Amino acid sequence: MHTTQHTPTRTVTRYSAASIRGLFWKWVGRIFESGAMFLVAVFILLPIVWLALTSLKPNEVAYTTDVFFQPTLDNFRIIFSNSSIIVNEGTNLQRSVIGLDMWPSTLNSIIISSATVLIAIPLATMAAYAFSRYRFFGSRAFLVWILTTQFLPAIIVAIPFFTLFRTIEVFGEPLLGSRLGLIIVNMAIVMPYSIWMIKGFIDALPVEVEEAGYVDGCNDFQVLVYVAFPLIRPGIIVASVFAFIMSWNEFLFAFILGRDTRTMQVALTTTSGVNGIMWEQMAAAGMVVMLPIILMTLTVRKNFVNGLTMGAVK
Amino acid sequence: MRKSKWIVWVLLAPGLLIVALTTTYPLLTALYFSLHNYKLTKPVDWAIQVGGDSFVNFNFSALSLDNYIQAFTDDRFINSVVVTLEFTLVSVGLSVILGLGIALLLQKEGFWHRVTKSILILPFAISPALKGYSWRFMLNENFGIFDKVIDLFISAPLNALINVWNALPFGDIPLISMNLVWLGDGFWALFMLALSETWGWAPLIALMFIGALGSIDPHIFESARIDGANNWQIFTHVTLPILRPVILIIVMLKTIFSLKMFDQVVTMTGGGPIRATQTINFYVHQVGFVRGLDIGYASALSYILVVVLTVVAAGYVLFLLKPDYNGS
Repeated sequence: MHTTQHTPTRTVTRYSAASIRGLFWKWVGRIFESGAMFLVAVFILLPIVWLALTSLKPNEVAYTTDVFFQPTLDNFRIIFSNSSIIVNEGTNLQRSVIGLDMWPSTLNSIIISSATVLIAIPLATMAAYAFSRYRFFGSRAFLVWILTTQFLPAIIVAIPFFTLFRTIEVFGEPLLGSRLGLIIVNMAIVMPYSIWMIKGFIDALPVEVEEAGYVDGCNDFQVLVYVAFPLIRPGIIVASVFAFIMSWNEFLFAFILGRDTRTMQVALTTTSGVNGIMWEQMAAAGMVVMLPIILMTLTVRKNFVNGLTMGAVK
Repeated sequence: MRKSKWIVWVLLAPGLLIVALTTTYPLLTALYFSLHNYKLTKPVDWAIQVGGDSFVNFNFSALSLDNYIQAFTDDRFINSVVVTLEFTLVSVGLSVILGLGIALLLQKEGFWHRVTKSILILPFAISPALKGYSWRFMLNENFGIFDKVIDLFISAPLNALINVWNALPFGDIPLISMNLVWLGDGFWALFMLALSETWGWAPLIALMFIGALGSIDPHIFESARIDGANNWQIFTHVTLPILRPVILIIVMLKTIFSLKMFDQVVTMTGGGPIRATQTINFYVHQVGFVRGLDIGYASALSYILVVVLTVVAAGYVLFLLKPDYNGS
């Protein structure tokens, strides 16, 4: 615009009615676009930010929409303590609160999700490798079968396992309401998904490297372990993160088959007290459930779309 | 591709066995249950007495279709089917349209575009159960943030206009005030359930669309523009037709997930008010584990759901396996 100051004659031609109108609409468009982006951001962040704020609120402001308050970690102390503790509420108010004892459920969630990943991922990798690198009788049919199991409603898996687990004891402990039982049923959602996902990663790798391995005199097993596996490893890590998130966020199985073995997801429901849900405690528990998964999600960002649709949308 | 060898089956066996055990076994068992009269007659405390079969009242009757026949005269089940379909329609429609809108908005380069794009992934990290609770909290009629946001963005500007109008001598319009209990009203409870689902899915769908939009050759848009098409024409005549297969896949995928909805119903509305948000999955859970302990009937109901899902899933699988779309 500096040049226009020195050449007024050109200014006239520049700011013709049409160009002013063009500029006007351009700015209207830009403002509209920024406004829309702001709304999208508010829509996405509001539930998360509100939960985070509430988890830091003392009881007396938790049931208001105030955003200015003295933040406190009392809610986190309450949900993890297993006895009555004293918390500060505001300036001189002190109150005794019974803790929710969520350590056991945190531990359950960690054990169940980790075990699910540790069992499912190696077996899924093996199967995915076979599907990707070998042609054999029924390979396509098996793949379709595995894909369709993804669409089963979880409840139809839960019902038969409920009746089955009631009649089975492992080491004198009924399978119903045990961690082992939940690990077994988690396979129903994690295993097919992992096979497809890892197969996608292996498909994307050039087969030549493995062939070089054969030329160098490796057998199938050696090629798999020493040549293919190191190459697939990044894909396996991504699949493991997805599998962990799936079993961590799993609710229906834990709700129906978990009984006293509560996972974090089910432990959220224990924040209901005599006066209804204790929202500030629920929010704190929610943060504990959410934060590890947010961190993990960030690590798989790049593979996210592919992973979610099993390679359907590229 | 190498030829089949014994090692293939060694690699496959454990994985396939587990998939068979955890998906096909229950599917077949549930079919068996659904064709019999099978109730868990002893209430709640069985788990404590596990040790023998004596506590299980197996009472299997002869093979019959009673459970399925019962389903078609069960008002509550029919209600749950209607609720599920309504929920699916609203949540799929909102998620896909909003997702596409967000994708079109954010596909351009720019700092704020990038920042907004990077938060799209966040709702995925929130488990459905927690999503239900956080929305229930936001929608609370006494201290929910949702009413405040509505006030700020909708009621306050409208009321300001109404105040100006009322200052003029043309007669008064009443001011807008929010006194709706969102989850206490059947229609709004179901709508909010669908909106919470949209919150979780629209950003993910937007990410999928951004990926799909990015893979379109920009020359196509350029030549359309040279031919004199305006933005709207480009969108309807170029972008949409190219995105058609992606849209179809996303709609099918989202439909499958919507039909299976369970977690948020439990944590957000508990199926209420009355039965306004009881989805099929929720009702099956009620029948099998909460009220009737009627495993046979619950199995039959979930089988009806499986049949519906199979139809959608079959379309999805056939579409995926089309050789020109995906090399698998």
